[in-house]
Amino acid sequence: MSAITMKSADQKDAESNVESFRKELGPFVAATEMTSMAMVFTDARDSDNPIIFANDSFLALTGYRREELLGKSFSFLMTRGAGPDALAKVEAALKGSSECSLEVRCRRKDGEMFWAAAYIYLVRDEAGGVVQRFASFVDLTDQKREEDRLRFLLDELNHRTQNTLATVQAIAVQTLRGVVAREVVDAFQARILALSKAHGLLGRTNWDAVSLRDTLDQALQPFGLNDKWDARFTVQGDDVRLQPKTALTLAMMFHELATNATEYGALSESGEGRIDIAWQVEPTPQGGRMRLRWEESGGPLVEPPRRKGFGSRLIEGGLAQELDGEVRIDYPPDGVVCHVVMPVTAPVGE
Amino acid sequence: MTGALSGRRVLLVEDEMLVAWLLQDMLADLGCAVVGPAARVNQALAIIAAEQVDLAVLDINLNGQTSYAIADALTARGVPFVFSTGYAKDRLAEDYRAFPVLQKPFHESELGRALETLLEPEPSSVGSRRECAAEAPH
Repeated sequence: MSAITMKSADQKDAESNVESFRKELGPFVAATEMTSMAMVFTDARDSDNPIIFANDSFLALTGYRREELLGKSFSFLMTRGAGPDALAKVEAALKGSSECSLEVRCRRKDGEMFWAAAYIYLVRDEAGGVVQRFASFVDLTDQKREEDRLRFLLDELNHRTQNTLATVQAIAVQTLRGVVAREVVDAFQARILALSKAHGLLGRTNWDAVSLRDTLDQALQPFGLNDKWDARFTVQGDDVRLQPKTALTLAMMFHELATNATEYGALSESGEGRIDIAWQVEPTPQGGRMRLRWEESGGPLVEPPRRKGFGSRLIEGGLAQELDGEVRIDYPPDGVVCHVVMPVTAPVGE
Repeated sequence: MTGALSGRRVLLVEDEMLVAWLLQDMLADLGCAVVGPAARVNQALAIIAAEQVDLAVLDINLNGQTSYAIADALTARGVPFVFSTGYAKDRLAEDYRAFPVLQKPFHESELGRALETLLEPEPSSVGSRRECAAEAPH
């Protein structure tokens, strides 16, 4: 017999193993051979976990011929050149005495890398000893590629949104400068920027839930929140997750309140004025309900506005509707107080 | 307007015409002398080779081309610059993430602060200075 056609002892063992499966398990072996899910069995009694069975789908996934696989160490094969991380993960999974699933980057015979979700199960004999391991694979290459593509598109969309807002800012400033009072241009610009920064925050979290604290930080930083020389703000409350739309709405509300405070309220005179922001979430049968209070004090004497400006219209009218809650602004002489009551999903961390 | 920036020659690289006008006005308000604006990489490189530039504001995506070659040319000449972009910072190529970034759109005061930070004498570590400038756009 030539060396090329000579079968190793391992391979012969493996083949006789499969033969014995076939006898005992007839239709199941046929099903395993034909399923489109890639599957292998390894001999768990050997520390190398040699492959004793591989179905056609596994051959298609990895690009190997069956005779190249049988008797070979499973972990070596799967992680050849895929980095020590993957090898360690697979080794740990194979050594373990429990079943597990993991995502690994593997290498095909031709060297191409692919992502797979691997599910490893234990096959026990009648005495309960682990005799074989059974692993099935789902090729995640397309899914990973799709995730990357979506991530890219989302980044592009965020980028375009910000560039469009920059263009809107540019058009507004070019159009209005010298035509209307400087304060009007500034107020418009500040609103566009507040909207853009809230969008930026949502972009960084992939338009997933955003924390109330981050939303507050983002909106109030231009007004001196977290400024170490400025202790005019206090913020109190356990962080809460907000839906993207709610976060945008609240960011605009905080911007309007702070702008108003800068013009007429607690932030208008450098010195004594302060703003305390506090909230609690209470459980209700319909889910969490947040009560948030913005309270100004120490500023000049407050007079209720004679006419509702954009800010108070936005806060009291639009926001109550968008937040599906209640928003009220009071103008006691000591300082403006704004109450918000709105539904929230869950505190951060839950 | 601001002492430190007054009379500084600032190269402006921006391919969006309307935004370029806005930034030109902002720079003028801050007392800077605008060099450019350049809308293309080659244009900017030609300006850097021919003219004296103290500082620069660089858009990253110039009609599909990145402005990293401009960043390299400025770095080679020791000209500090700030990126101005609608991209999140983590979308920058890895080698350029340490440079300060102004997230578009931004206010004139944010631009002023970022440019002033570029002019501050280098503290013990370059990283901290850049970190500081990068935090400016809030």
